Amino acid sequence: MRDASLSRALLYAVAFLLAFLYLIPLAVVLLNSLRTAEEIVQTSMIGWPRVWAFQNYTAAWADFCIAQTCSGIRPYMLNSALVTLPATLLSTLLGAVAGYAISLWRFKGDTWIFALVTLGVFLPEQMRLIPWTIVLRDVGLTNTLAGLVMIHTVQGLSFTTLFCRNYYIAIPADLMKAAKIDGAGFFRIFYRIVLPLSPPILIVTVIWQFTGIWNEFLYGVTFTTGTQQPVTAALIALSASVADVPQHGVQSAAVVIAALPTLLVYLFGGRYFVRGLTAGAVK
Amino acid sequence: MSRITRRTLLAATGAAAITPIAHAQAVKPRLTAISQWSAGSDGAAITALGKKFEEKGGTWQHSPVPGFTTEMMNKLRAQIMAGDPPACSQLKGPEITAWSKIAPTLNLDAIVAAAGYEKVVAPDLARLHKPGGKWAALPLQIYSTNMLFLSKRAMDKAKADKIPVTWADFNALAEKMKAGGVTYPIANGGTRPDDGQKFEAALAGISPAAYRAACMNLDEKALKGPEMKAAFAQVRKIADWMDPNTAAQHYSTFLSRFVAGDMGIMIQGGWAQGVLLNAGFKLDDFIIAPGPSDNGKPVFLLNADAFIFWQRKEADLQAGQKLMAELVMDPAIQTMYSQITGSIPVRTDVDLSGPGWSDGQRRTASALKEAVAANQAVLSLAHNMAQENGMTAAMIDVITEYVKNRSITPDQAVTRLAEAVEGAR
Amino acid sequence: MSHAAPSPARPLFAGLKRLPEFLVIWVPLLLSAGHVVVFTAWTTWISFTPSTLVPVDGWVGWRNYTNVLATRNWKIAFDNLLIFGAGFVILTALVGLLLAIIIDQRIRGENVLRSIFLYPMAVSFVVTGTVWSWLLNPGMGIQKLVNDWGWTSFRFDWLIDRDMAIWTIVIAGIWQSSGFAMALFLAGLRSVEADLIKAAQIDGAGPVRIYTRVILPTLWPIVIAVMVILLQFAIKTFDLVRALTGGGPGLATQLPALVVYDFMFQRGHLGRGSAAAVLMLLTLLGVLLPYGAWKYYQRRRDARA
Repeated sequence: MRDASLSRALLYAVAFLLAFLYLIPLAVVLLNSLRTAEEIVQTSMIGWPRVWAFQNYTAAWADFCIAQTCSGIRPYMLNSALVTLPATLLSTLLGAVAGYAISLWRFKGDTWIFALVTLGVFLPEQMRLIPWTIVLRDVGLTNTLAGLVMIHTVQGLSFTTLFCRNYYIAIPADLMKAAKIDGAGFFRIFYRIVLPLSPPILIVTVIWQFTGIWNEFLYGVTFTTGTQQPVTAALIALSASVADVPQHGVQSAAVVIAALPTLLVYLFGGRYFVRGLTAGAVK
Repeated sequence: MSRITRRTLLAATGAAAITPIAHAQAVKPRLTAISQWSAGSDGAAITALGKKFEEKGGTWQHSPVPGFTTEMMNKLRAQIMAGDPPACSQLKGPEITAWSKIAPTLNLDAIVAAAGYEKVVAPDLARLHKPGGKWAALPLQIYSTNMLFLSKRAMDKAKADKIPVTWADFNALAEKMKAGGVTYPIANGGTRPDDGQKFEAALAGISPAAYRAACMNLDEKALKGPEMKAAFAQVRKIADWMDPNTAAQHYSTFLSRFVAGDMGIMIQGGWAQGVLLNAGFKLDDFIIAPGPSDNGKPVFLLNADAFIFWQRKEADLQAGQKLMAELVMDPAIQTMYSQITGSIPVRTDVDLSGPGWSDGQRRTASALKEAVAANQAVLSLAHNMAQENGMTAAMIDVITEYVKNRSITPDQAVTRLAEAVEGAR
Repeated sequence: MSHAAPSPARPLFAGLKRLPEFLVIWVPLLLSAGHVVVFTAWTTWISFTPSTLVPVDGWVGWRNYTNVLATRNWKIAFDNLLIFGAGFVILTALVGLLLAIIIDQRIRGENVLRSIFLYPMAVSFVVTGTVWSWLLNPGMGIQKLVNDWGWTSFRFDWLIDRDMAIWTIVIAGIWQSSGFAMALFLAGLRSVEADLIKAAQIDGAGPVRIYTRVILPTLWPIVIAVMVILLQFAIKTFDLVRALTGGGPGLATQLPALVVYDFMFQRGHLGRGSAAAVLMLLTLLGVLLPYGAWKYYQRRRDARA
């Protein structure tokens, strides 16, 4: 059994080496979030804090001025939440129903419409920027968070429908048949049979949507104004222009704070994420 | 003579055009503004301007759009397409003319005439803000993009105390620094404007006339002229003295090495002074001088920030626009603004002898005056003052590839640049 | 697949009673598919107009296309997409598979390790690009660190090397996305029938053999799923490059999404930018259509079998 324990040791060595490598970028940001801007400019972007600048966090959270508003990134976090939560829930729910309809209720044209919806996954957002501008103008949602929610819901449907359809297709046809013989309709089957089976895939789509929308910048900065902007815009605002010393310390602290929601989602959702995928999301 | 007549006429029509604004005085002025100035000294300066606006009884609604200039323009485009342009927005250079074609701008001629502003603005600069001959935008502050920042410690290592005047002086100083143990005689960042600044400083310093013809007027002959080749050759020298490891980093990342004398000379805009001071370095860590000029007279590469004013129907916004325009042209406001950002005022009649100004700013201002007198004040290519963005980007493509690739010869670069200009026309 | 179709295609709309169901299915689907179709068609139309700062009507034929195709930016971006697309997709999948196999060995600290490999997915591309621009910078990152430790001839300067710079984006991309690939593969590994492995073990197969002969072959569907998801990342890669290399050194790391954005918004040429976007989508279709055809063929075969 010497061989086995040797290969076991090797396995752990590789695992921890890789874990170490994956953690380096996080470590760099965490260290920078505790260094002053002057120290970073005067030494290097990578380094151990000489003085622990914990005040970076209070500055980033509550004090830093973006334009005339000296409230740190706090209000912007709220904006992001106001966009991300509804858009995530809406796109997930609608995507679940759509995926359910496509996979279990086959109707005329379902293949085509599914192909088109899936194609949406590949459209770069740069290309969609001006069309969305026109749409927002025409529906009267320019410069509103509701406009952003609409955009992210419609775009998110591509992913959520794809994920859910691939998941639901594994639900046995017999189950459906039995339910229909019992006289259950579209919604009843969804509530009684499909939804109870869904948590794994819903966790996957929620995590996916939440992360994607939370981290989105281009639409957030173009389609909102002033103190309505999402936190990604505030982060960029902290990285001052060409004419200024970059505030790397406060900026790193802000990055850490702004990334907390998505990090926590992965930290606590990660286990279910894998479990959800295991349960069939990738068939 | 005819020019004066025309201007008077314009002023008259302008006055007629803004009569409604005069009537609107009764309402509380309000201003919606878009800029990319969100933080740092830029943010502080525009905030101070906003305070002044409020002191005069106005409502100040500034929405900074963080990020690159492109993001700010995306925002502006979205607002214009939605039929809701801001009362005024940050815009600069030839883009003012380009954008003024997609939405109606305010005619500022009467307000400008009333303030006597045109007399105190460099002519090349004034032209940029008058699409179709009418003032639609107002410049706010000026930077020179080709200032030299000499590291005191690097100068000590080189045992040099003379400020270089010509490119030959400059090259000699760099050689001396190299010999004296300065690892990289040129301090630099690796961004596209950074590379562009090296080229424009070289060409304008070698021949302002050639720069004007090639970079500002895109004259085909000038683009292939000997000065272009000489400029690229000078850029190669500069590139060879730079630290190749900077990659795409911002120049400010390397300030410590510059001050320590590990890097010797920065070719940067005047804004670098404020950056150095804000980073905790001292004024006697470095020397500021105008960029090299082979004919000995200062060459000034102009970079000016400006506000463009969009037509609005609301009485309060119109009153706000008038107030804003008056503020922007006010020497006291320009003084306040430049003292925060480290730029110099657009007005050539502002006295910079007071204690709020630095030597660097005084030197820049006098360089501008002399350069204007010698017709050597030209518009910066790297900072989107000489050409519209599409043309600028096509030209910088060639320049940045040249800087980063030693195997491209100056001759090839000249050919490529001329081709790029043709392709982007 | 066909087992999921309980009955032949039914009429879409059978009476008012089914109106809610009809709405709930079709409104989201039509919005989603509709925006894809309309936006793509609109972009295609704009690519034939003389639009600059804002969309305008007009017709310039293929001029925007010839103009974009003639730029070095597009040529470089296109070549890079092939290198980056292939490099990123394949290597990320491989690294993800490696991580999944490691985690699958019932090692201690599985939860912690999985979180560590997965957390980069939570980080925005801008942050990833910025941090890696420090780490990969030879003047202050990994190279400097190793040099300072005493190995002074150590070089890791891909970031400033025109030929290798595109691989720095691959590195950052792997760091960010391999956790996701890992999760998918892990899901696959865990759903392999235990009996299958038992049988192989009884036959005397070693662990390596079990992986290569028994487990990995069952992963094919997952490999495809991983590839598709990574491919859409590769094609959309934008923020990452902008923060990591700025498209440089020179133009060395241009990618199509960058060129599209650059022409549309930085250079004020909506027409040319749209032409670049259409070219990019055509390239994508060149990959997706054969895949779709293959799936279709497979389905037909399965249906017959």
